[in-house]
Amino acid sequence: MIDLVQTLADGLLFGAIYALIGIGFTLVFGVMHKINMAYAAASLAGAYVGVVLLKLMALLPWLVIPLAALAGAALGLVVYYLCFRFIPLSAPLATLMSTVGMLLLIDEIVVHATAGMPVNYPTLVRGMVRMGELSLRADLIVCFLVAVVAMAALLHLLYRTRLGLATRAVSQQPVAAQLCGMSLGQVNAATFTISGALGGVAGALIGSAVGMLSPLIVAPLTVKGLIVTVIGGLGSIPGAIIAGLLVGAAENFFQFMRGVTERDIYVMLLLFVFLVFRPGGILGRDPAGT
Amino acid sequence: MDFYLGLLQIIGVHTLLGLSAYVVLLTGQVSLAQAGFMAIGAYVAAMLTVLAKWALLPAMLAGGSVAAVVACLVGFPALRVRGLILVVATLAFGEAVRLFFFNFDYQIAMGDIRVGPLGGEGFRQIRYFPENGWTTFQVMVFIWLVVGTVMAALWWMDRSRAGAVLRAVGEDEVAAQSCGINLTAVKVLAMTAGGFIAGLAGAIYAHYTTHIEQGNFNIMVATFAIAYPILGGLSNVFGTLAAVVFIQGFLVEGLRFLGDWRNLLFGALIVLAMNLRPGGLLDARTTAALQRLRILARDPAAWRRVMGQLASGAAFSGAHAAVRRRIESWRGSPGA
Repeated sequence: MIDLVQTLADGLLFGAIYALIGIGFTLVFGVMHKINMAYAAASLAGAYVGVVLLKLMALLPWLVIPLAALAGAALGLVVYYLCFRFIPLSAPLATLMSTVGMLLLIDEIVVHATAGMPVNYPTLVRGMVRMGELSLRADLIVCFLVAVVAMAALLHLLYRTRLGLATRAVSQQPVAAQLCGMSLGQVNAATFTISGALGGVAGALIGSAVGMLSPLIVAPLTVKGLIVTVIGGLGSIPGAIIAGLLVGAAENFFQFMRGVTERDIYVMLLLFVFLVFRPGGILGRDPAGT
Repeated sequence: MDFYLGLLQIIGVHTLLGLSAYVVLLTGQVSLAQAGFMAIGAYVAAMLTVLAKWALLPAMLAGGSVAAVVACLVGFPALRVRGLILVVATLAFGEAVRLFFFNFDYQIAMGDIRVGPLGGEGFRQIRYFPENGWTTFQVMVFIWLVVGTVMAALWWMDRSRAGAVLRAVGEDEVAAQSCGINLTAVKVLAMTAGGFIAGLAGAIYAHYTTHIEQGNFNIMVATFAIAYPILGGLSNVFGTLAAVVFIQGFLVEGLRFLGDWRNLLFGALIVLAMNLRPGGLLDARTTAALQRLRILARDPAAWRRVMGQLASGAAFSGAHAAVRRRIESWRGSPGA
């Protein structure tokens, strides 16, 4: 029994990272009604750039997180300009495909730069925290806390600043927002920058939780992030947070019950359970999706 | 020579894969599960020929049918949701199929060796072609007969009422529904047809490579499947064929001397192509232009008139206007 609780606790802690990735997908969806397939790849690339900058400047390991956030933000902007800015709205397939192309491109650049080898990532803290019979990995707790801080910063930005107001306005009524003098282009670019920064943080947290980064993480992270987005309800940030924690916990639960090779099958089945019984996701506004 | 025959085989299988996504894309849906259906077709057909000693053609049809049934079953829950959620659902399903075969063991003793799929090691000894004495050339001809049949069937379907219905759903669901079209039935049928074609592609793939494993059916393959029709354009089946020939023939094989840099070029080219031609290579406008050209070719008087216009620069100013329109559209809609 205690093993099960331990498993679920570990899963919840790691789930915060999935939640960050899910939020990134959902933010872009909310504003543009498009999926940015390159998001997870760009996030991990941001984390790579972060660790490279850290080594170049010989800074404290902690600073890898802001560095990765900066790099992620820059990459987010690049993705926006290369894959969205110049493709007409009327061609949804084209943006889907261009971001897939971007995913391949970023992935290949990373493989080239690292020669396909995993890159060691700085650990933030070591040791375990004991809570009664539970013992939690301190670095996972730190990851969880950093993720919570990042989410809080995002919510502050969205609900307490003019930029956030503009972002929400564009996601609700693009035409009306434009009539009020907001520039769709600027809001979109800002959204990609913000989601890129979140992705950079998530990438850095994954790196420090796993101890290394490898291009092999990109595909599973893309799939998990998208599953989190759909389970949470497309466009819903609180939904993505809940779904991230849920998927993290479910993943560890299935690993505990059925072993690591079958784990992901059940996570996918969880998605289908949601599609059948609650197609709009946990907190989706529009049950049919868009 | 064998190299080129092998290349033709690859192009044939990828064309089938692309066509399987093409049918689904016509209804405006994006399925990233085509690699999963391909895997089902591959494993079922290979198990039938190797373990049950079936002949190739019935085994292929059986593989395609099983894949079609699965696609139909996936279609129902997945198609209750629209658009982008379907992308995620099918992506997850494709991965689930791959992971299923990663965990799937079914081996029986045959002589002194055990044959059949074995989890991560995959399924070896699919020796139908060598055992029955098929040459590479015969295999290639067989593959292209299948590809030709499927292409002809889709071409015919495209021009029939069924094609019009599929495209109506793809263009505007609400309008199609108000014309009395049953959206769910059309989409599920398209998914089923796509699953069958992907299953055929898998069955052929399993037999000419002689060894399949779950890694052969990963997200990359699913991405390629939708990339071909999207890059080639959805106006007709030849767009898909052109994209496959370009990617497999030119990018993958023709640029082999570039080594690893080729892969970088691949992603960059997709991004570039989608920025320049959002509707694909053979989009509606280009197809219409080709059609006009064909009509022109039959009419010498019109031909002379166009040549005269070309000489006077009128056609050039038309092209110039098209480029200007494109730039205006970039300024006007910031992609949102």
